[in-house]
Amino acid sequence: MYRYDSFDQQFVDERVAHFRDQTRRYLAGELSDDEFLQLRLRNGLYIQRLAPMLRVAVPYGTLSSRQLRMLAHISRHYDRGYGHLSTRQNMQFNWPELAEVPDILADLATVQMHAIQTSGNCIRNVTTDEFAGVAEDEAVDPRPYCELLRQWSTSHPEFDWLPRKFKIAVTGAAADRAAVNVHDIGVIARQQGGEVVFDILAGGGLGRTPAIGALLREGLPARHLLTYIEAIMRTYNRYGRRDNKYKARIKILVRAMTAEGFKAKVDAEWAQLKGSPSTLSEEVIGRMAAHFEPSPYPQRPGAAEALAAQRLRNPAFNRWVRHNVSPHKQDGYAIAVLSTKETGTPPGDVSDAQMEAVADWADAYGFGEVRISHQQNFVLPDVGQEQLYSLWQAAVTHRLGTANRGLATDIICCPGGDYCSLANAKSIPVAEALQRQLEDYDYLHDLGELDLNISGCMNACGHHHVGHIGILGVDKKGREYYQVSIGGHSGADASLGQIMGPSFSRAEVPNVISDILDVYLAYRIEDESFLHCFRRIGMAPFKERAYAKAA
Amino acid sequence: MPRLLRLNGELTPPPELLETGQWTLESGLGVKLAVDAEVDERWLAAPLIAIDFPAFNDGRGLSLAVLLRTRLGYAGELIAVGAVHEDLLHYMRRCGFNGYVLEKDAAPREATLHPYSDYYQASAVESRPADRRMGGQPSISSRTSPTPSS
Ligand code: SF4
Repeated sequence: MYRYDSFDQQFVDERVAHFRDQTRRYLAGELSDDEFLQLRLRNGLYIQRLAPMLRVAVPYGTLSSRQLRMLAHISRHYDRGYGHLSTRQNMQFNWPELAEVPDILADLATVQMHAIQTSGNCIRNVTTDEFAGVAEDEAVDPRPYCELLRQWSTSHPEFDWLPRKFKIAVTGAAADRAAVNVHDIGVIARQQGGEVVFDILAGGGLGRTPAIGALLREGLPARHLLTYIEAIMRTYNRYGRRDNKYKARIKILVRAMTAEGFKAKVDAEWAQLKGSPSTLSEEVIGRMAAHFEPSPYPQRPGAAEALAAQRLRNPAFNRWVRHNVSPHKQDGYAIAVLSTKETGTPPGDVSDAQMEAVADWADAYGFGEVRISHQQNFVLPDVGQEQLYSLWQAAVTHRLGTANRGLATDIICCPGGDYCSLANAKSIPVAEALQRQLEDYDYLHDLGELDLNISGCMNACGHHHVGHIGILGVDKKGREYYQVSIGGHSGADASLGQIMGPSFSRAEVPNVISDILDVYLAYRIEDESFLHCFRRIGMAPFKERAYAKAA
Repeated sequence: MPRLLRLNGELTPPPELLETGQWTLESGLGVKLAVDAEVDERWLAAPLIAIDFPAFNDGRGLSLAVLLRTRLGYAGELIAVGAVHEDLLHYMRRCGFNGYVLEKDAAPREATLHPYSDYYQASAVESRPADRRMGGQPSISSRTSPTPSS
């Protein structure tokens, strides 16, 4: 993991003091609501429907057990004993007091954490593969580059006041778990001739006008990462629209200029920036990479056999391993996903006790490291294979042991109308109703890999466009309705969902989803996935079935 | 009453400026650029360049300043006018501004002007290469050592 040096620590400490001063000036009436709004947004603080919401940065989704214990403490001391894992790998607190936020930030700074640029029209927390550094299918560990980007973008003099928020995702594995195709900038790291190079995408995004990113550059040598991104940022900062917030994302600019036109502009800018002081020397990259060198993995003789025997003995454990455990680079180890999607709990919500338990497991079954995935689950990256059984037993008692990773009940869901002031409709009750309906394991398992994503409004925090089934809250004459789309996907072969037709009332949603799943089960060939089946048969049969009753 | 605040803390009445359409070298006055102006070598001869911020959260003027400094090599006086907010001065300074016209006649407090003792990136006023700051400084003894790799 990256550990702060004295420079980093000084910066976050000064950030706390700076924000404390701004908060004090606001509370003393020296800053207007509008002024403070812009300033607090640069530090993750929203004023929501019911209370402020503080979004804490979890850089590229990586936490130490000590940091997670601090988050548990914060949730207990300043909030109501829980936090929310966001779809951008961050942690949100829904009930802090404004006047106490500087104290929360001071507590965070003691464990090398902050809330810098987790909201506002600036470069947001960089996200990546939650299996970074341990995945079997990884070509390049993306984390050193994420950290370089984090440092470079922190309080950047030129790019903290952009037309709109800006999200960068990096992946280095064959399976794209970071959804790089639907980010403002997507970075794909790979090996080429013994060197690390990047493919750079720009202009992807969800929201009102979803788009898949355009490939701007292939095979960019690693040293040029920051200068090339600087060229993109400058082009966007200068030419992105500022007159209409719905047309201000980079995807609109790329579309307006065409991908070729945008690329030409960026390349012309980069021609001037190439080799400038932000160029990364081999030494810098090497030094950063050293922070992420794998822990020395002790050998685990007999681990695989022990795991195999336990799987045979316990079918429930076997199911959990099948879905929630992924292969590790290192023999004898595994990656475990702790699902927050047990029916009846809002997806991504975790209690202080759960956070502390996960921190303890990270120490007992790993090297003290925890990840947050964009699917709003916890990940333990370095579990000994023979330890999985006791981890699972403990996880079950803490309601984190549900065997549903990647299945239909592993719903991605934004906070929606229960918390968010921008929402058109609630999303959490919809998720819960669907989880209840799909809970039967045999049915769930039979459906196989299925991403079900729910957003409470067009902002698409629940990534509904890239759900195999996406649900979007809409407002129909002041009533909550839900638009359903099918066929989205966020992996390497990303696609955007197609809207099925007129929206449904909340009560209708579970039946509509049942209808869609029935059509899939009827049409699928052998063990064809939902996504594959949809791509083969198209929308018509789904549509016909879902709207048949209404007619 | 608006005042021009210079980096050395000096407060003076704001200078007289001409819009780009009216400006001539002979006028002897500073030129006022809109944030969406393209960089033009013509302005290099001006005794002062001002960039006019239409809103305090409009970052275009920051990029324009960086381009004037780094692309054109403009070394003269560069000031921010219009919707200039004191909390953004620390960004502006690093983009190469050396003066700001503020709507009040007292300088902002030090905590607002200089909230940070140092920054991560190279900038228009800091060309130290990134590796002096980014990726850590292992020669400094106070540094927490990274996880040992061997
Ligand atoms: S998608 Fe809309 S409702 Fe949901 S969290 Fe984002 S802004 Fe709020």
